[in-house]
Amino acid sequence: MTARLRILVVLLSATLAQATVCSEFRIGGVGVELMLLVTILAGVHGGPERGALVAFWAGLLYDSVTTAPLGLHALVFPSIAMAVSSLERRMLRNTRVTDALGVAAAVAAGSAAVAAVGEIFGQASFDPGMLGERILVSALFTTAVAAPVNRVVAWAAAAGLPMTIELRRHQS
Amino acid sequence: MAAPRPAERPRNTLLILLAAALTLLTLQFRGVEPLDAFQQGIRDILSPVRSVVDRVTDPVRTVWDGIFDYGDLRGENERLQTELARMRGESLTAEADDELLERLLGEVDIAYTDLETVVVRILGTPPGNFTTHIVEIDKGSDDGLAEGQPVVTGAGLVGRLEQVDRARSIVRLATHPDFRVGVRLVDSQDEGLARGTGDEDVLVLDAGIRSDASVSVGEVVTTSGGRSLFPADIPVGRVFDSDDSTEFRRAIVVELAASLENLSFLNVVIGAPGLREDR
Repeated sequence: MTARLRILVVLLSATLAQATVCSEFRIGGVGVELMLLVTILAGVHGGPERGALVAFWAGLLYDSVTTAPLGLHALVFPSIAMAVSSLERRMLRNTRVTDALGVAAAVAAGSAAVAAVGEIFGQASFDPGMLGERILVSALFTTAVAAPVNRVVAWAAAAGLPMTIELRRHQS
Repeated sequence: MAAPRPAERPRNTLLILLAAALTLLTLQFRGVEPLDAFQQGIRDILSPVRSVVDRVTDPVRTVWDGIFDYGDLRGENERLQTELARMRGESLTAEADDELLERLLGEVDIAYTDLETVVVRILGTPPGNFTTHIVEIDKGSDDGLAEGQPVVTGAGLVGRLEQVDRARSIVRLATHPDFRVGVRLVDSQDEGLARGTGDEDVLVLDAGIRSDASVSVGEVVTTSGGRSLFPADIPVGRVFDSDDSTEFRRAIVVELAASLENLSFLNVVIGAPGLREDR
């Protein structure tokens, strides 16, 4: 299966899951930000350019299943993917804990950016006092499901890319 | 021409993507039809799948809600007990009798029977974490619904239809900060424009109302009709704070007649005298 086809399959499956399961199961009204998670992981595994492209389409599909105007998430997600990719390459040492914290921070940053851009375009209807709490719950909840999603996104986003030689871990 | 350095290519890609997204947003806000149709098409394709998943996950979701929304359920239970105690303690005058009956009938029947309505079931919150004061319902354009139609319960106004797909729709609740409705104060016959504030169960009437209007606490507020999207005489609520001490910009707080918490069924007004068809 080519890289493009894999990415298409992952994006469509994620959209379906976002519109169904992720909307059904919420904590305090907040669900998993699956499309944002796919964006972040595409930045990690696919590099800045491929990550940004996957993120753009993820944003467009997300816009199509929410009440947001078309282009709102697509405006924010590519920058998130590129920033994550850039920061990930600068990390000297990765552990599971730093990876999880990184994903949580990226989800929080992405959610805050979406809320801010939504406010600029007159889309915000939430209580600003609750925004911090919503972002925190969203970041923790999304990070909790990151491990299985990571494998799937790695399978799709890293397809066809040259193999990286992992020099950072197990350094003596 | 020199080839771009490797670091420049992702930046150029990002700029192109941002420009594309901004173009889409601009076109969307200008009301370009194909974009709306694209979004609606995707939602219509997903709708049957969502219905199946709703049904399959319903038992698990009940357990999930019991675990993670236990605090909310307990709070709601306490609120209802307090409400019950208050209602028992009230001396039931003729007016209160009517009000009690109205509340009891609130969600099951509609009192103002002249309106042609469609009964809809609330499915929950639509996908996304950062839009509140909207709910998703189980009927759409196939059932005669159209954007802008008023949504009510027997107790009064609840909101209006914001987005209508073939089999599902989104209701913007009256408490949404972008919600506006023309209202009339029944005793004084003064009219103005009320808006949602994002707070639970209240609207603020702060436009079009005379600063010297005689408004009393408890006065009934209904829709005004006329140039408004809503037909006249739908109950909206009662005046909670008449703000009569202000000399400049008056902000009258109206407590909604219909409780917007824990709704299950709603009525969409599809036919009424004065209902505008343009939205």
